[in-house]
Amino acid sequence: MNSTPEAATEKSRSKKLGTILGLVAFAIAVATVALWSRQIDQVAIPENRAFFVAVFLAAAALGITAFVAGTRWFGGLAAVVAIFLGSLLLLTVAISRQEVAAEAIQVGDVIPHFTSVDEHGQPFDSSSLQGHILLIKFFRAHW
Amino acid sequence: MEVQVVTVSTDHPHEIREGRSAHGLQALMLSDPDLVVTDAFGLRNQGYHSAPPGDDTEVLPVPTSLLVDRQGKVLWMDKSENYQRRSGPEVVRAALREHLD
Repeated sequence: MNSTPEAATEKSRSKKLGTILGLVAFAIAVATVALWSRQIDQVAIPENRAFFVAVFLAAAALGITAFVAGTRWFGGLAAVVAIFLGSLLLLTVAISRQEVAAEAIQVGDVIPHFTSVDEHGQPFDSSSLQGHILLIKFFRAHW
Repeated sequence: MEVQVVTVSTDHPHEIREGRSAHGLQALMLSDPDLVVTDAFGLRNQGYHSAPPGDDTEVLPVPTSLLVDRQGKVLWMDKSENYQRRSGPEVVRAALREHLD
């Protein structure tokens, strides 16, 4: 007979621990996502993202540990969210690197002549910019 | 000293118009969905492409700022090494002070 009072108590204790871990993982993940989102919004993500990477990893790891220990249903749900958020944000860090080709424009180069379209769909020719001091900003998109 | 601000992005003209009312940016904003201007400057991102679901752009420019003198020469440049970071306005102001004063 596997189900002894001691085994039941041990299992209950493990579930309690697992539930707590799941909830802690959830709290860490949500708090870090909130901080991360605010930093993104303010264009203030630090150059060294090691702290965020470590916390995302910790949240995901704690969530996994919660499952291993066994949890009550709400602890399990919290752990799933923590694992998802931690993994997702790690992924965004992993794919965020930007790189240009070797022949990209550099300081000292003269900018090329180019034609384009303005916000009204009208043709634009860079010749109209000659003689002006320019601040040219390339950005990804409105989102 | 007057500086002409020019922006280049893959936004279509209607997206630029819609966005302008939100951010109020006073600049010449160019639409470059096919990356013609981006490629002329060599600023197409060679790394992994990522965009929100539903966005149809296949690739994007590397976020870059260039300060250009009246002869068209690039005086200063700031390129993002990852899309989660941009140099703030104080960096641009410092560059303007350094190169134009």
